[in-house]
Amino acid sequence: MKKVWKSVLMLIATLTLSFPSVMPTVQAATDDSNATSSSASSNKLAEIKAQGKLVVGTSADYPPMEFVVKKNGKDKIVGADIMVAKKIADDLGVKLVVKDMSFDSLLVALETGKVDMVLAGMNASPERKKSVDFSHTYYHGGNVFLINKSDAKKIKSGKDLAHAKIGAQTGSLQYQMVKKNMKQATMKPLDNINNLVLALKTHKTQGIMLDSLIAKAFVANDSDLKMVKDIDMPDNKSVGVAVAMPKNNPDLVAAVNQTVDEINAKDLMNKEYLPAAGKQMEKVNVKKTMWDYKSFFLKGVGYTLVIAATSVFFGFILGILLSLMRLSKVKVLHAIAVVYIEFIRGTPLMVQIMFIYFGIGSLISSLPAMLAGIIAISLNSGAYVAEIMRSGIQSIHYGQTEAARSLGMSQKMTFQYVVLPQAIKNIWPALGNEFITLVKDSSLVSTIGVAELMYQTQLVQSTTYKGVAPLAVTMCIYFVLTFTLSKILSYYEGKMSHHG
Amino acid sequence: MICVIGPSGSGKSTFLRCLNLLETPTAGTVTFEGQELTGLNEKDLDDLREKMGMVFQNFNLFPNMTVLNNITLAPIKVKGIDQAAAEKTALELLTKVGLADKADAYPTSLSGGQQQRVAIARALAMNPDVMLFDEPTSALDPEMVGEVLEVMKDLAQDGMTMVVVTHEMGFAKEVADQVWFMDQGYIQEQGTPEEFFDHPTSDRAKQFLKKILK
Repeated sequence: MKKVWKSVLMLIATLTLSFPSVMPTVQAATDDSNATSSSASSNKLAEIKAQGKLVVGTSADYPPMEFVVKKNGKDKIVGADIMVAKKIADDLGVKLVVKDMSFDSLLVALETGKVDMVLAGMNASPERKKSVDFSHTYYHGGNVFLINKSDAKKIKSGKDLAHAKIGAQTGSLQYQMVKKNMKQATMKPLDNINNLVLALKTHKTQGIMLDSLIAKAFVANDSDLKMVKDIDMPDNKSVGVAVAMPKNNPDLVAAVNQTVDEINAKDLMNKEYLPAAGKQMEKVNVKKTMWDYKSFFLKGVGYTLVIAATSVFFGFILGILLSLMRLSKVKVLHAIAVVYIEFIRGTPLMVQIMFIYFGIGSLISSLPAMLAGIIAISLNSGAYVAEIMRSGIQSIHYGQTEAARSLGMSQKMTFQYVVLPQAIKNIWPALGNEFITLVKDSSLVSTIGVAELMYQTQLVQSTTYKGVAPLAVTMCIYFVLTFTLSKILSYYEGKMSHHG
Repeated sequence: MICVIGPSGSGKSTFLRCLNLLETPTAGTVTFEGQELTGLNEKDLDDLREKMGMVFQNFNLFPNMTVLNNITLAPIKVKGIDQAAAEKTALELLTKVGLADKADAYPTSLSGGQQQRVAIARALAMNPDVMLFDEPTSALDPEMVGEVLEVMKDLAQDGMTMVVVTHEMGFAKEVADQVWFMDQGYIQEQGTPEEFFDHPTSDRAKQFLKKILK
C-alpha cells in the first residue's frame, strides 16, 4: 500500500505542479516586466557562477559544429560549437555541462531555464531575436543546396529547384530562407538533419538547404550526394551563428561577447576549432559496420528497458487507482478520474512529454529528462490501464462480491483477493497490448534527449551518415523486445487459466 | 429451520438478502443476536456477516481458486487463522459434504451439485451462528438436488439455525420447523409445516398451494 500512496502523491504533485508552472511565467511577463528586468538581469550570470557550471543546450546532429563520438565507451558531444562553449565556460571560471536535445526544443529549453545558453550553429535571425538575446556572431557560414549526384546534370543552381520539393530543418534559418525566397517550391521540413538527408536520398525531396559546413561533411562521407553552391538567393551571408541567451541578461551577454570577440580577433574558429572538429570526425568514420556501434544500441536498450519497466509499474498502479476512483460512488473522485482519463487520452503523448519536461522543468530545473519522460509515460499509461481495468472489474459478476462480503470480508479484501485477480486474468491480453505499446512509445522521449534506443539510433545515423541501416537494426531490436514481452505475458496467461 | 416459500417475485430473496444487509432495507429494522443491524457501519457489518453464512443460487465460488482455497480464504484473511489449521478445518468440512477428494480441483471442473456443496462448506468454515440459503437448488439439474438437500438436512439435524428460501416443498414439509409464506413483499402466513400445508388460512396461500401441488 505504501507504494500505492507514493504514486498517488506523485500524481497529485505532478498535476498541481504542472498548472502553476505556466501561470507565473505568464504573469511575470505581463505584470512587472519592466520592474524586475533590471534586478533579474544580473541574476543569470550570478546564478551560473554560484552553481559553478554552465549548462549549454545543443542539437548534436550537426557535424562539425556539434556531434557525438564514443570515447572509452562513453558518448561525448564534441564539435566547434562545443569548443566555443568550453572557452566561454573557462572564461567564466565554471564547468561546462552540455545538454543534447532536438533543435526544435532548444529555444523552449532556453526560455524555461533548462539551459543557460544555446550553441547549436544557430543563426541570429531577427525572428529569434524576438524571444532570445544573441551574442556577437562567431561564424558566418554560407548556405548551399545538397542534391543527389544523379540529378547533378539537371540541377546546376538554386534556379533549377524553383518548383521542386525542398527540405530544411524545422525552425532553422535555412527553413526561413527557402520559405521566403522560393515561393513556388514545396517545403518538406523535418527536425533532424539525418532524416532530411534520408528523404533526399530516397527522392522524397530534390534538394535540401544546409549550412555549407554540414553539407561538406555529408558530401565527404557519401559519394551519392553533391553540393550546389549557387543557391540563387540574396543575403546568403548576412546573418551569422551566435550564442543564444535568455532575454534581459545584459551582464551575461557582455561576458559572452568578450569571449566571442577574442575568438573572432584570433580567428580561432577557422584556425583551431573547425580543423580540430574535422579531425574528430575522421576518426569516427573509420568504423563501418553496424556491429561496431553495438555499444550505442546496447546502451539504448538499457535505457529503454528501464523507462518501460518503471512506466509499466507506475502506470499499472495509477491505472488501478483511477479505475477504482472512476467506479467510486464518491462523485468528486469519479469526476476527477473521468476528467483525467479523457484529458490524457485526448492529448498526444508527445505533447505530454514535452509539457512535463519543459512545463514542470521550469519550476524544478533539475528535473532530469529521463525522469520527466518516465513521469509522462506513466501518467499516460495510467489513463489507458484505468479503462482496461474498469472493464475487467465490471466483467466480474456481482455474485463474486456478494459471496465474499457474506463471508465477512471487507470491501478492500474482496477487491484485493477476489475481484482484482479475476479481473486481471480477464483483461490480461488487453493489458499486454498496452504494455507493448508502451515499450514502443518510449521512443518518443528521444525528443527531450533521453539516451534511449531511438536516440541512440539517431546518434548512429549522424556518426555513420547512414540513414536506413541503423533504423533497420533498431526495428529488429524493438521487435525482439516486444516479442519477448509478449511471450512472457502469454506464459503468465497460461498459468492463470484454470479449466479443469 | 425456517423455510421461506412463495411465488416468484414475492420478495423471498430480497428478504433474505436484507438479513445480512447485502441489500439495504428501505424501511424497518433487522435485529440479530440482540443487535440492531440497520445503521451499523461497514466495519461492524463485516463482523456480523461473519456470523451469518450465506449460500447462493449460483454458488458464486471463486473460479480462480481451488476448492480448498475457496474455503480457507476468508478464515485466513478475516479471522487470521493460520493456513495449516484453516486447511484442516476445510478438509473436515469437505469430508462432511462428501467432497474430500476434490480439495485441489477448480470449481469449473465440478458439477453444480458439487459446487453448491463446496459453497456450503465455505460458508460453514467461518463457523457461523446462522446459515442463509437463497434458493440453493434452483440452478441445479434435478438429479443433483437430492445431494444438496441431504447436506442441508444433516446440518439441520446438527442443530444449525437456518433460513432457507426454497421451492422444494417436500423438503420444507419434512425438515422445516417453521414455514413462512411470502407474497407481494409481505409475510402473509407463518406456522409449522403441518399447519401451513394442511390448513392454510389466507386465500393467497391456498391458491399457491393449489398450483404447486397439482
